[in-house]
Amino acid sequence: MSTTEETTTAKDDAPPPPADAPAEAKDSDAPAEASNGDAKKDNGEAKKDSAKDAPKATVAEAASYEDKEFVAPAPKKKGKKTAEVAVRLSKVTKRFGVKTAVDGISLKIKAGSVYGLIGPNGAGKTTTFSMMAGFLQPTEGAVEVLGFTPSHVDELRGRLGVLPQDALLPNTDTVGEFLSHMAALQDIPADKIRTEVESVLAEVDGRDWMKLRCSQLSHGMAKRVQLAQALLGEPEVVLLDEPTAGLDPRVAYEVRQIIKSRKGRCTLIVSSHNLQELEEVCDGAAILDRGRVVAHGSIAELTASSQEVHIKLAPGPVPLQELRALPMIKRVEFDDEKSEISVYFERGSVDAETVIGQVLWVLLNNQARISGVTKGKGLEQRVMELT
Amino acid sequence: MNPLKEVQLILLRELRKNFRSVKGIVLLLISLIGSFGAALLLVKFQAFKRGQIDEAARTTQGSVEVTASAVKEFIHDGRIKALTPVYGETTAKYIADSPEVLYAGLMITIWLTPMLIALLGFDSFSGDMQHKSVRYWTLRTRRGSYFAGKFFGLWTTVSAVTLAIHALIWAVCIFRGEATAAETLSWGVRFWVVSLPMSAAWCGIAVLVSSFFRMPMVALLTTFAANFALWLVWVIGVASDTNALLYFYPNFYDKLLLSPQLWTAASGFGACALMATLCVGGGTLIFAKRDV
Repeated sequence: MSTTEETTTAKDDAPPPPADAPAEAKDSDAPAEASNGDAKKDNGEAKKDSAKDAPKATVAEAASYEDKEFVAPAPKKKGKKTAEVAVRLSKVTKRFGVKTAVDGISLKIKAGSVYGLIGPNGAGKTTTFSMMAGFLQPTEGAVEVLGFTPSHVDELRGRLGVLPQDALLPNTDTVGEFLSHMAALQDIPADKIRTEVESVLAEVDGRDWMKLRCSQLSHGMAKRVQLAQALLGEPEVVLLDEPTAGLDPRVAYEVRQIIKSRKGRCTLIVSSHNLQELEEVCDGAAILDRGRVVAHGSIAELTASSQEVHIKLAPGPVPLQELRALPMIKRVEFDDEKSEISVYFERGSVDAETVIGQVLWVLLNNQARISGVTKGKGLEQRVMELT
Repeated sequence: MNPLKEVQLILLRELRKNFRSVKGIVLLLISLIGSFGAALLLVKFQAFKRGQIDEAARTTQGSVEVTASAVKEFIHDGRIKALTPVYGETTAKYIADSPEVLYAGLMITIWLTPMLIALLGFDSFSGDMQHKSVRYWTLRTRRGSYFAGKFFGLWTTVSAVTLAIHALIWAVCIFRGEATAAETLSWGVRFWVVSLPMSAAWCGIAVLVSSFFRMPMVALLTTFAANFALWLVWVIGVASDTNALLYFYPNFYDKLLLSPQLWTAASGFGACALMATLCVGGGTLIFAKRDV
């Protein structure tokens, strides 16, 4: 018997609203809030979210967040304001000519969380990400990172790290020169640059790469150097665009471990279409499709892991009546083709683990042959349903 | 961080990049070999002239010194006459005193610099834009600092290359006895300094053009086209005697910069600085608003 579990935090067991519920129904414990431009909340927020009032609104709304679990213990830099909302998009639209790549997205990502931007190709993930990083200017709406628009380079210096998806490393530089130059531009004191560069290279398992030319690096090595520059100087917010794209499974695994090791130290925003990866590392995510947010919330919400369990059975008895008799169960379905029982229960009234225990007890007592148990439906299935 | 510090860091990185890249090294070598060859040719020509003077002295039974002095004066007057229509009488008289080899070296530099700048600078921006590596910088520096750093990086590189070219010509001039070391350095440094404001204007144009394109090859062709267009404007200005058109062409400013009158030279310097500032300032404004 195998059991697949979500990577969740304690608060995932709290009773949040459905993942695809309107934004105003969300509770403030989710790692992020998101909506499209046409959501009711956005209409109300739009006034206070205007670019002019944005910094004030950020502080006011950030103050309403009560859950401190997601607040990263980010190093406070002298003279820099700290924000509990790491990234905030207010009715952001991006058009390239007649094509609308991002259509009125609103999103708030709490400081300290690991947040995923999910969606198929062309969904607007990279465009959204690029606006957060300041590479692209929104056609409409406002983007804030730590309370500042991304163009405020001086205020965000060293506080925002970015791994761009397809930005090549400069061929003429050695890895050490490139990272040292980046560190100097981040205002890291000259006497600490070497230590910082060595430390971040060690983190990506590239201790011996200091003297290698960037042109000599393999794809996997280059990706890790790019990751190293994003992590230089302990930034408070790190944006990672497709961090494992094109990497072999081993390097991808190592990169995921690096991302996981940063959990709790900073806010991580990962844009990817590798859903397993996101399910593994993220606390919450927004699913994008054709430039709009189609669902958002914690991973538990998105995968419904706190409201359904699936039990795969080998040929043998299927005691559906007995399962339906269980008091906490809302609905039981059996898929003949997959030979899978789906058990639905009321989120908040009982936790998934209790339901699994009860269901397995009934199945075993009725000589059912269990070959697997899954909590929730998996991010992949959820994305397939929504996009 | 102070924007000047940002500019300084970008500038130093640009220097490292330019002098390390294959393109930079090849251009430096070609420039040095070319200028060395040109200087040698000029010196040979001077030696030929001296030979002719000796020959004339022998055939006229006169003293070589007397003949040389007369020929030198004749050449000096000839230079004044030739330079007066271009520079005006005061500047022409002033330049006529300089060693001919050094003046010829200056002219070579002035005419070659736009091409050197186009070849060195066409991918300063477009290369970074094409591969999106510009994103590593825009995250950490103000876009204005990045633009200015690119400009100063290119200008410093070109200034260093032209200094190397001039230094080679100085060496040839001294070792072949064209002028004394003091005279050579005095005129040589002056001529090199005169080339700097003009190369700044050309660098401004090259960086501005490069910043518009994501494909280096398009940037290169457009830079050449822009340089040619400016030259054409100058030609039209000269042909039609329309002075206003002449001021669009950076190489026109040697007329002012070579003047012995401080005010005239300063106005030439100011005009070149203005042209470079307009290019860098305008480019920065556009770059600050655009997507990278």
